Amino acid sequence: MLPLLIVTAAAVVVMLAISIKRSHLLAVWLTLVGLAAAFFSLWIVAPLTPIQVTPLLIVDGYALFYMGLILAATFVTVILAYGYLENQSGYREELYVLILVAALGSVVLVASSHFVSFFLGLEVLSVALYAMSAYLCARKPPLEAGLKYLVLAAASAAFLLFGMALVYAQLGTMQFGQIAAMLSGGACYSKALLLPGIALIITGIGFKLAVVPFHMWTPDVYEGAPAPVTAFIATVSKGAMVALLLRYFYETGMQHLGSVFLVFSIIAIASMIAGNLLALFQNNVKRILAYSSIAHLGYVLVAFLAGGTRAAEAVTFYLVAYFITTLGAFGVVSVLSNGERDADVLDDYRGLFWRRPVLAGIFTLMLLSLAGIPLTAGFVGKFFLVAAGASSALWGLIFTLIVTSVIGLFYYLRILVALYAPPAETGEAAPAGGLPALSRGGSYVLAALSVLLVWVGVYPAPILDAVQRAVSTLRLF
Amino acid sequence: MVLWPFVVFFVIVLIIPVGMLLLSHVLGQRHNEHATGSPYESGIVSEGSANVRFSVKFYLTAMFFVIFDLEAVFIFSWAVAVREVGWAGYIEILIFTAILVATLVYLWRLGALDWSPKQRGERS
Repeated sequence: MLPLLIVTAAAVVVMLAISIKRSHLLAVWLTLVGLAAAFFSLWIVAPLTPIQVTPLLIVDGYALFYMGLILAATFVTVILAYGYLENQSGYREELYVLILVAALGSVVLVASSHFVSFFLGLEVLSVALYAMSAYLCARKPPLEAGLKYLVLAAASAAFLLFGMALVYAQLGTMQFGQIAAMLSGGACYSKALLLPGIALIITGIGFKLAVVPFHMWTPDVYEGAPAPVTAFIATVSKGAMVALLLRYFYETGMQHLGSVFLVFSIIAIASMIAGNLLALFQNNVKRILAYSSIAHLGYVLVAFLAGGTRAAEAVTFYLVAYFITTLGAFGVVSVLSNGERDADVLDDYRGLFWRRPVLAGIFTLMLLSLAGIPLTAGFVGKFFLVAAGASSALWGLIFTLIVTSVIGLFYYLRILVALYAPPAETGEAAPAGGLPALSRGGSYVLAALSVLLVWVGVYPAPILDAVQRAVSTLRLF
Repeated sequence: MVLWPFVVFFVIVLIIPVGMLLLSHVLGQRHNEHATGSPYESGIVSEGSANVRFSVKFYLTAMFFVIFDLEAVFIFSWAVAVREVGWAGYIEILIFTAILVATLVYLWRLGALDWSPKQRGERS
């Protein structure tokens, strides 16, 4: 419970600090200290696990691992946001309150073992995200993104609630563990109502994961939202949902129902194909990354469908790699953005190597990792996904994964080609007096992320150990 | 499970709106007079644009009222069960109220409670 309390307290403290003295730096420091304290409190809590805190939350090794992942990713987002917002005018400090609240929501989500805490966490996360995506409300695109996200997320939350109500009506319990007992105990229930309930829950979950056919909002919101917020949506919000997906379906054993398996297979295949194909036609780096994230969640679902401990490990490890890579990629977009607009058009990156070689190198690493090239974390992650899928003989899914990965390689290479193209002859290259300085915090974070990326790619054993220990506490069904 | 009432219901749901639209389309009168296109087809002709900016100070106040009113509901629900939940409940409601007070302090310092928008000119 301690990490949750610390994050909550941090949000209130930052808010009070803003009301007393409005200082960007102070708000950032308080946020970072709060997040770091919450992160290290995980080790204090660890010996006590697993504990059931009220019927709503379960804090076990699995939840702690994901909490650590989420808090670390939030930490990175905050640093990126600091560099990004330094160029902006207007109120900047409130974003950190919102980020802390969103982190709280996702931390609740990964520890929830009950429909109520599931919904509570989801709403706390979503409501903060609406405001975060529309944060720079003087510009048009963030407003558009925020509004679209608000309408669609609210609608999907309604679907989710109705699905929960149907499942509750049939089984009479909202606790994951008891649902499992009811399903296997042959309690009398009507499948005609249970299956629609599960389908509606999948709709709600699928929306948050942005898998096809619930992906329509993704490119628009990714494009419109400020780059650090996009990084947050792509990593923390999705990662928390995947953690919940694993816990919910594995602990209740619902994925063994034939129709649920079929639905997820279709979703996975559609996401992999649609995500990768649609990304080919984009000229906007943020949109490309949005479609690529749709495809990546499709890959994750392949391992999810395989079932069992191996699959849970593969998914968790893949998420770690995905977090590092996505944060890095959006981090590059974020540090290149200026006060007027985000650097999201492909032309912004043309010849970047000749202007900022290090940054271009980091971006190259991130893209290679997204494409799954060896020596990067993305490759190791994808390897485990395929291994998990192969151990359950999901050949159709694996085949799609491999073919679409190859297609995906093309649009990552397109960005790479732009990066190393000779600088454009527009005359605006190399402005007098050198380039504007990048934010220092952002550069350190990007450097750290790329070191981490290669380290995980070359020597994944420590992370793998942690993942194995975490997943072993998950009660599989 | 008997499915046919559901199917009948579904068919009726489809038939009624489609029927209404079709019938009014077929039976309805059509005319194109001088004032057909104008609102209410009568009265004073509307002039100018509807995009007029006017101050909505009460809007913020109304929002705060709705939010804080809802929070009060939680305190009421605690008050009903005050003996049953004991000291743990008391501490929880204290924390809850403290966060509410913190929010109020924030709003006050932000100038959101000022009726005249003088101090909030920084942003808009």
